[in-house]
Amino acid sequence: MLYELKESIKLSMEALNSNKLRAFLASLGVVIGISIVIMMGWLLGGLDKAMQDTFSIIGTDMLFVDKWDWTGNSNWRDTRNRKDITLNQAELLKDLHGTAEYVIPSINQWGTTIKYDGETYQGMTTVGTTAENAMTPVGNLLMGRYFNEFEEKYGSNVIVLGHMVYSTVFRGENPIGETVKLNGRPFRVIGVVKKRGTMFFDFIDRQMFIPLKKYAAIWSVNKRSMSIGIKAGLDNDLDEVRTETIGLMRIIRNLGPNEPNDFSINETKAFEKSIESIRLTVYTVGIVMTSLSFIVGIIGIMNIMFVTVTERTKEIGIRKSLGAKKRSIWTQFLVESAFLCLIGAVFSLIICSGIAYLAATYLPEYFPELSFLLPTLPTELFVIAAIVSIVVGLLAGIIPAIRASNLDPVEALRYD
Amino acid sequence: MSETIIDIQNISKVYEMGSQKVHAIRDISLNINKNEYVALMGPSGSGKSTLMNILGCLDTPTTGIYNFTGTNVRSLNDNQLAEIRNREIGFVFQTFNLLPRATALKNIELPLVYSGIRKAERTERAENALKSVGLDDRMGHKPNELSGGQRQRVAIARALVTSPSIILADEPTGNLDTKTGNDIMKLFENLWKNGNTIIIVTHEEEIALHAKRIIRLRDGVVESDEINENQVKLS
Repeated sequence: MLYELKESIKLSMEALNSNKLRAFLASLGVVIGISIVIMMGWLLGGLDKAMQDTFSIIGTDMLFVDKWDWTGNSNWRDTRNRKDITLNQAELLKDLHGTAEYVIPSINQWGTTIKYDGETYQGMTTVGTTAENAMTPVGNLLMGRYFNEFEEKYGSNVIVLGHMVYSTVFRGENPIGETVKLNGRPFRVIGVVKKRGTMFFDFIDRQMFIPLKKYAAIWSVNKRSMSIGIKAGLDNDLDEVRTETIGLMRIIRNLGPNEPNDFSINETKAFEKSIESIRLTVYTVGIVMTSLSFIVGIIGIMNIMFVTVTERTKEIGIRKSLGAKKRSIWTQFLVESAFLCLIGAVFSLIICSGIAYLAATYLPEYFPELSFLLPTLPTELFVIAAIVSIVVGLLAGIIPAIRASNLDPVEALRYD
Repeated sequence: MSETIIDIQNISKVYEMGSQKVHAIRDISLNINKNEYVALMGPSGSGKSTLMNILGCLDTPTTGIYNFTGTNVRSLNDNQLAEIRNREIGFVFQTFNLLPRATALKNIELPLVYSGIRKAERTERAENALKSVGLDDRMGHKPNELSGGQRQRVAIARALVTSPSIILADEPTGNLDTKTGNDIMKLFENLWKNGNTIIIVTHEEEIALHAKRIIRLRDGVVESDEINENQVKLS
């Protein structure tokens, strides 16, 4: 049996080799189908990695009390009509909270302009926050230091730059000690945050952090809603912290027993949901396209196998006259069909590896949101592609192989 | 008394062509014993091809009994017939029927592949078979690199390699010139002398005369079945 398999593979190689163009055209559908499977796996692999990265930049032990819901699942109109979360409420929560390690209020000013060395840069975000923010993943600094409680208390003119602000404004030069101007006010740069952005959070590197008190002096903290970051701490139970947070916020916001929450608790779990919907889209599109191309592919391979069986009718007759059993005949054609598809899979893998490498290397330069793309294909895709192609080959080969094995030896020998 | 290899009793083969039934052969009975040299003769349409296909277990009779070395062939399924062809019958065809992509040696090994014999033994037996037809210097050649006579020798070696009970040759000289044809007939004669059982199907009187026994068919029945008193011997 093993020998027959080996012999069949050798035979198929000879047969395919003698008709390369036909083999190529026949397996085109399968090549496309397998390529789609590979590209789908590659995209999902990238998404998974981006998700992991996102989790780690936000912090898996972090909760954020916000007016807005990250998932966008709740009714937008209702959300918009919610009252802003004020600094007072944030400070109350901080005082009352018993289970959280840190409660960190922050407030964002989008679209800040920053001036340095005579040049103006737009599209940055100023974040007013407390010194304890250094305890969250934002505290991972590339250089310098975070502002301390003392600087926070006195509202010092110090600023910690997000990575993209640093690379855009300073272009690799040492920014520590330099002075930049936000809305005309000078700030001394004391630190730079490590690069953290991913496709889901690319704005995060455009942030600049200043003491909350300083922020209040420039933009006032009453014009927009605060965001309250809550670090549970790795030793505490996130569920317990969440329950206490919701309870306290309801009291602070004066909600009656029957009123719904007028705030959102955002956490990394929300991203799992949005990733899930992206994943589902990729899957659905992928599966529809894959099914279509596999149907075309199977028909193509089946067709070519029928032609092969017809062409080799005489050979089948000879083999039968020499004592080949049905099993030997159909094994030969099934192996040939599977082998044809396997070759297709090898082609797909080569092509897709090239595409993945080029896409991941060059595309993010122009489309930063594509930075989640992986430059190499995940290893398991090689196994999947091989298995899928063999299964497709076997499916496509069954009917031609059975036809070949059922040929009448007398008729087959007479065939020319 | 010598051992009976083929024993057919009252066999008929009926083909259905649309609504018509065609009797290719009807009610034929005969015995062929070990080490006989038989020529099966008849013009085209006489049913000799049908009889040959049945004798070679490529086809089964519609009615009648066919015992091949004691086995009732009519009750066998396709795979069992394949096994009999593989072990007991060596075919030699008019058009040689070698696999074009395989070397002489590989062609000869093929029946042994289907009997599940290991590589080393296969090669050895195939080489010996090639030697016995005088072609041991052509092992690695493909059919298109061989002359017609050489191809037929390879085919004969392939028929011999399994040491079958009978060798069934269908117009073995039909595609060869007279001299080469004579060489091939000489080879069959030697095989017969070495104890093989040979059935040659032909429509040529000259070829049939090499056999020891001539069975003539006409219109699907045996016209005559007699010992050939004028057997032509080449060696």
